Amino acid sequence: MRGTSRAEGAGAGGTVASSRADSAVFLGVRHHSPACARLVGGAIEELRPAYVLVEGPADMNDRLDELLLGHELPVAVFSHYRDETRVATSWTPLCDYSPEWVALREGRASGAEVRFIDLPSWHPAFAERADRRTNRYADAEARYAEATERLCAHFAVDSVDALWDGLFEITESETTEPGGDDLQARLDAYFELVRGDAEADSGDRAREEYMASWVRAALAHAGERPVLVVTGGFHQPALRALSRQRDDWSDGSEEWPEIPAPPPGAIGGSFLVPYSFRQLDAFAGYQSGMPSPGYYQQLWEEGPQAAAQGLLRTVAERLRTRGIPASTAPLIAARGLAQGLALMRGHAYETRVDVLDGLAGALISDDLDQPLPWTGRGTLGAGSHPVVVEMVAACTGGTEGRLHPDTPLPPLVHDVAEQLARLGLADRDRPFTVDLTDPDGLARSQVLHRLRVLGIPGFTRLSGPADGADPVFAERWEPHPAGGREAALIEAGAYGARLDEAASVALGERARSAGTEAAPLAGLLFDAVLCGVGPLCDELLEALAAQVGQVPELGPVGEVLTAALGLWRHDRVFGVARGRLLGSVVAGAADRVFWLAEGLHGGPGVDLARLRALAAARDALLHAPELLSVTREAAAEAAARIGRDRRAPADLRGAAFGLRWALGVPDDPATAVQALASTAADSLGDWLAGLFALAREEVTAGATADGEPLIDVLDGIVSAMTEGDFITGLPALRQAFAFFPPRERERIAERLLLRRGKHGSARSLLRTTADPLLLARARTLEENVARLLDRHGLGRVG
Amino acid sequence: MTVTEEQLQRPPAEVRYAGELAALRAADADPRPPGWQLSLRAARRFVVGDEQAGISRKFVGNVSLVERALVTLATNRGLMLVGEPGTAKSLLSELIAAAVSGSSALTVQGGAATTEDQIKYSWNYALLVSEGPSPRSLVPAPMLNGMAEGRIVRFEEITRCPLEVQDCLLSLLSDRVITIPELDGPQGLVFARQGFNVIATANTRDRGVNEMSAALKRRFNFETVFPIPDCDTELALVEAEATALLRQSGVEAAPRRDVLEVLVGTFRELRGTAERGERMSTVMSTAEAVSVAHAVGVRGWFLRGEAGSAADVVASLAGTAAKDSPEDLARLRRFLEQDVPRRKGGQWQALHDARHLLAD
Repeated sequence: MRGTSRAEGAGAGGTVASSRADSAVFLGVRHHSPACARLVGGAIEELRPAYVLVEGPADMNDRLDELLLGHELPVAVFSHYRDETRVATSWTPLCDYSPEWVALREGRASGAEVRFIDLPSWHPAFAERADRRTNRYADAEARYAEATERLCAHFAVDSVDALWDGLFEITESETTEPGGDDLQARLDAYFELVRGDAEADSGDRAREEYMASWVRAALAHAGERPVLVVTGGFHQPALRALSRQRDDWSDGSEEWPEIPAPPPGAIGGSFLVPYSFRQLDAFAGYQSGMPSPGYYQQLWEEGPQAAAQGLLRTVAERLRTRGIPASTAPLIAARGLAQGLALMRGHAYETRVDVLDGLAGALISDDLDQPLPWTGRGTLGAGSHPVVVEMVAACTGGTEGRLHPDTPLPPLVHDVAEQLARLGLADRDRPFTVDLTDPDGLARSQVLHRLRVLGIPGFTRLSGPADGADPVFAERWEPHPAGGREAALIEAGAYGARLDEAASVALGERARSAGTEAAPLAGLLFDAVLCGVGPLCDELLEALAAQVGQVPELGPVGEVLTAALGLWRHDRVFGVARGRLLGSVVAGAADRVFWLAEGLHGGPGVDLARLRALAAARDALLHAPELLSVTREAAAEAAARIGRDRRAPADLRGAAFGLRWALGVPDDPATAVQALASTAADSLGDWLAGLFALAREEVTAGATADGEPLIDVLDGIVSAMTEGDFITGLPALRQAFAFFPPRERERIAERLLLRRGKHGSARSLLRTTADPLLLARARTLEENVARLLDRHGLGRVG
Repeated sequence: MTVTEEQLQRPPAEVRYAGELAALRAADADPRPPGWQLSLRAARRFVVGDEQAGISRKFVGNVSLVERALVTLATNRGLMLVGEPGTAKSLLSELIAAAVSGSSALTVQGGAATTEDQIKYSWNYALLVSEGPSPRSLVPAPMLNGMAEGRIVRFEEITRCPLEVQDCLLSLLSDRVITIPELDGPQGLVFARQGFNVIATANTRDRGVNEMSAALKRRFNFETVFPIPDCDTELALVEAEATALLRQSGVEAAPRRDVLEVLVGTFRELRGTAERGERMSTVMSTAEAVSVAHAVGVRGWFLRGEAGSAADVVASLAGTAAKDSPEDLARLRRFLEQDVPRRKGGQWQALHDARHLLAD
């Protein structure tokens, strides 16, 4: 039997059982591998099996016809699941060159019974996969990284993808003789080797048990005809062993395994969604299976030579359309390099990596900020070289799948239709107002905002609150004819099965791409509040907290912190007070404020934004300590360090001093002020501004170590200033005292009058009624008189 | 007077690995590019190692980088290695030159004072005055030698040379000939023999490759050498190198693994691989990490007779991480104050406790 590998234990002396098991043919494949797909096609043609069993969600078995309606690939089976403890979404993507797809299509065409035999995607067996956005056909290779690392070292290649291409996709025998023995033998050896090294987790074992039960049932039903089992290579050795465990093969009595039903109370389902190569490539790391679907599609259709040339051509075209120079000479050089590399690496034709390496060598004449993405298993980072970006995009390809019109729609479509109808939004045709303080109005508003953040056309907001502090409690919306709405909804279905979940995931994605600018982040945060994505937004929370933790400037991060903390403490409209969404943002922002504050250096001047940031951090420490990873003690220590840092701006040092005071660990303000006045009097105003911004109440209420109010100490210092110093320092001092509200300023003025033993209206000290110009002229006149007296020896008598 | 290998501080690669090169040459069955001492595959094995054949791994980095570099050299383009300082660019160019030409000695060290004379040729002026220009009075520089002998020439730190000096490579790389106008007839033209090519290195800190002329850039294929991405690999490398250095310095205690772990961890964090995206202006390369590990070992051994502790790391870091920038020192302090306490286990606590050693 060419091109197949029979289960072990075959032989003339075998028992009935073993001869039965013998008619099972196990094909271990790598998902999304054209070489494996070809192998599957060859095996079906040759074996004419009674059953073709495919690794895929068994709950789709009744609906296989749906898959074969005649879609334009790629499409995916989208599965979602939610219960009280767990949310999971999963895709089972299929493209032309998927071995599973070939098994499905060719199996049907040859008259075999085709069955998916894996557990449904919602099953807890998949729960151990860390990533929520999972691909059923992800590489299991993450688990045998050690074995593949050794292989990579042995064959001297950088990544498992390069290794795979060299060993299996681009080989001499494969091109001359499709489905050759040689390839099958090498595949088996490869999977034996890596499986031998890896520890299958309990999820894998459960899945393999289940798949084996299908194999046994199929064998019992097949009689003497062969059964073809197409699964990931990782499972194949175990499946082979498990399928042989049964001894009695009473004819026909083997029951088909039951398809597990979701536990009561859980929501789940599977739907076909149109897929694209871009999406297929967008899974991160091992989740993506084999990267570069565009390239492999061409490899599948036209063979390795055409794929290599096509890749080169596509990259050149893309670069030229983008206006990046790619003249003939470097392209020839790239070709030459690629061929040289293929020769050196022992490839029959240039592989994907050979071509990419050649192009990179010849086209990039700059230093790179990041390693070439195909040397590892990462995704393309920000700041990648434009040539690299185009190269990766060329590999990805732009193919988009399309569903047959008869395909059932993803659940989001129905969810949205139902919600719009329930809330009376479905057939509005003129602008309407929703009242946010009314529960129904809020629900309407949230649904409309969720649609908005998902980019689904149909409603536009005309007016409403602009941010969390905006005291507007009504929104006005305008419905309009919605072209492309249906398509947008189906696409949004990939974000989640329900509108709130979908909005949350979409916001999370936006958060990750928002960069570190504070303004879009704040907008995003408020969008999240408007959408009311409460319980289901882990991804969004993480993304937001991570982004906030990277805002590069103190002022903006302070704004985010102020807004988030305000809503977290006081919101009564949106229902987000004390919620996790804002809690995590508060935590991330407060951390970031301390990180940025310590280490900030600069010259004179008061920066109100950074003072507000520290004040916000103070509020967070005082009112929401349970959210923060910074303890009071750590914050006080950090503040002490800032206060001592001579190169930190004076206002920040003052603010740090004030922060310690506000946290209840004051140092003696009198000493600090006096030291400052004697060494750097010109920064006194800035320093005080910082202090008052953070610890105004403490200043008014508290006293220095000697029991003397700080105001008295300051009065002493200011009185002792020379005329010049006073004039220079006046604007900063004025600014500092502006932090006191009028009533407190009046009290300070009273105290000053008292100190001088004078009586009178403190208020009149604060508000001059005379024209300032007149005052200035009077002052000049007085000075002139004084000078005149001095000159004639009449001044300073006594 | 001859100097034996033992007396050399650092013998060149072809001397250090003479045995491996000979073994590879003897076993080399693959076709060699014209003028090469080894085939491409054998050269690759020399650089990235081959355990079974007893060839040590000399360059820790992407194999494909080495492959691209070798294939580039077999074409008619020069090879430009760019990257942060201390990422083993020079080591790689030395290894490749030793593998391809059997010699890494033809080296031009670029600098602000490098002139064309030091690249192409100059004259023995006494002979020039008494005999006139002749091959006898000509003093060849590495490029002329490399072309005449068909060998790889290394050009270190090419971007530190003045632009007009860099550009003298233009005709040399495209026409592959040096003209010596002072000499008549065929002696006035030195054509490059097969096997000649240029490996240039440039670091991205001093003066990047942006100022290079487009014409010259076009004659090179660029390869960026990155810091070691994998923490364990870097740790192993630092351990091996530091152990060797310490032995040379007469230190008997091997460096402590847990101390090296916090050292390498600190370097990786400060290098800006961290998410904060704030880079040190000082180079935090693996080479620097090795030298700090060396300093730590030397301090520990000669001051206290032990292997060196986390406190020594802090003391030595001040000189490395904050060479001339108070900003870097502040960042280092912030790291020790704020980040280190969050890390669990090992010597991190000791590192945090020793933070006061970071003098102002």
